[in-house]
Amino acid sequence: MLAGPSVRDVVVLDRTELAPGVVLLGFYAPELVAVTRPGQFVMAVPPGGERAATALAIYEAQGERASFLFFVCGARTRELAELRHGDKLSLTGPLGNGFTFAGARDVAIVAGGVGIASVLLPAQMLVEAGARVRLFYGARSVDFLVDRDRFATAGCELCCATNDGSLGHRGFITELLAAAEDKPDLILACGPSPMLRATAFVASELGVPAQLALEEAFACGVGGCWGCVVPLDRASPQAPKFPKPAGDDGFVYARVCKEGPVFWAHELRW
Amino acid sequence: MSLGSTQKGACVPDLSVRIGKLELPYPTLMASGCYGSGEEFEPFADLSQIGAVVLKSVTREPRLGNPMPRLVATPAGMLNAIGLQNPGIDWYLDNEVAKFAKRPCVVIGSVAAFSVDDYAYVTQRLAARAEIAAIELNISCPNVGSEGETFACDPDLTGRVVRAVRAVTDKTLIVKLSPNVTDIAAIAGEAESAGADALAVINTLRGMSIDVHAWKPRLGNVSGGLSGPAIRPVAVLAVYEAARAVSIPIVGQGGIENATDALEFFLAGASAIAIGTANFTDPRIPIKIVDELRAYLAARGLRSLRDIVGKANVGFGSPFQYEGDVG
Repeated sequence: MLAGPSVRDVVVLDRTELAPGVVLLGFYAPELVAVTRPGQFVMAVPPGGERAATALAIYEAQGERASFLFFVCGARTRELAELRHGDKLSLTGPLGNGFTFAGARDVAIVAGGVGIASVLLPAQMLVEAGARVRLFYGARSVDFLVDRDRFATAGCELCCATNDGSLGHRGFITELLAAAEDKPDLILACGPSPMLRATAFVASELGVPAQLALEEAFACGVGGCWGCVVPLDRASPQAPKFPKPAGDDGFVYARVCKEGPVFWAHELRW
Repeated sequence: MSLGSTQKGACVPDLSVRIGKLELPYPTLMASGCYGSGEEFEPFADLSQIGAVVLKSVTREPRLGNPMPRLVATPAGMLNAIGLQNPGIDWYLDNEVAKFAKRPCVVIGSVAAFSVDDYAYVTQRLAARAEIAAIELNISCPNVGSEGETFACDPDLTGRVVRAVRAVTDKTLIVKLSPNVTDIAAIAGEAESAGADALAVINTLRGMSIDVHAWKPRLGNVSGGLSGPAIRPVAVLAVYEAARAVSIPIVGQGGIENATDALEFFLAGASAIAIGTANFTDPRIPIKIVDELRAYLAARGLRSLRDIVGKANVGFGSPFQYEGDVG
């Protein structure tokens, strides 16, 4: 029987800076790879660290190696970006509910910046299952459209957008999604909050269901502290089944780490 | 510097503690609001090796909780303002409490309220359940407007609420005090004379953080509760002062991350400790602390943790040479 989520120390295998501040960190974790589902994350911290752990999406998970792809934006990510081959890293996970896409035949994946980190695994699995996968990939410039060859090699069709027009459409990636010729039967998305909101809007205009992988600051990451919530329709199967408080207007706060991080766009009340 | 290991053949020091009617095998409690109901952490920590889980607070009515953001990272700690999101006591008793029987550790309920009557009402109903070994009275939540913390900031109100709750249950009653007061000793004394079996010292410190780009508070609730190592010295002093004012046991808490930190609290006068924010760094920390405490006591030939409670001397020489940090 496979082990479930756990806390384990792993060893860093490789570290590459793909763009200024964008780091790919590979580590040896066969047990994690064996139980990881697309869209899940782990809480990562260097052993003996004094800060709370940071939530990172599992980017690659194959054989004995898994990796993170992240943007250095604070003290903890700076610490993680300084790790080198042979360094140790403490991981709790895999955590959260990932993407569900069984039966989808034509999938549009929307990724903004390092949001790409959540969508490699679903892209690979969908292509393997015989689905058509279009990756709508946006970033501020061509330099930040990192690792796009890997998606092409994996069998995805790429549509790119950059803020400065250095590659593909000049503008937002969601504009390309809205203008796409064939309507997908499912949309998966991960990226900055404005991009996710725009994706939710486009999906609703197209009448296509969309799953959004949200990013939020976590404290515990396992559902214990209720610090990372998002307003969710009470009718959602993912919504905590709490009774309605006085003045209830139809939503309940769900934990991004536990009930999420992937939610159906039409059930979010943001 | 290491603690030294327990030598073969040497007696294993006793870490068990007594808090009111509770006998705990380990002196480590998981702080309320930080550990869910324990279930969330079961894949990552062996709960049979911790003293007790203090559950997230429950109120009379369901509560939506505060708007986001609810968390902010701060130097050596964090601010939180969850706002007591919970399903209310009716739903809680019907749907949650039965599950607590499966935990391989002692389970302590936590009660929050906005009136003396509601404290007594919720406590009476929760304490009636066999799954709940003891009650922690959260009279010091800083994140629900002015009402939540009022009780712990006024000796008279503390006395009234503890007396009302004492009248409805014989189970062990732990009263959680606020650090946001002028004289914690007076409030500790009032809680004891009103019938508390133990004190939890301290809840979070009130704090605020502002986004200077957006010109907005970083928390949806504006203010929040500060936890983590940043508050440890405040907590150690509060335990020290409270311990000198009362003879009931104290559960010391505030920024404990390792055995050295824990020992400060025991020496200040705590009989047990609670761990909150440190579980967010590594859920194995509570078990590591127990191992290190055992080694610390064994290396000094001490048979029981009880031998060091409140032994921080003032104005006398130390019986030991300085050996650096132990953890």
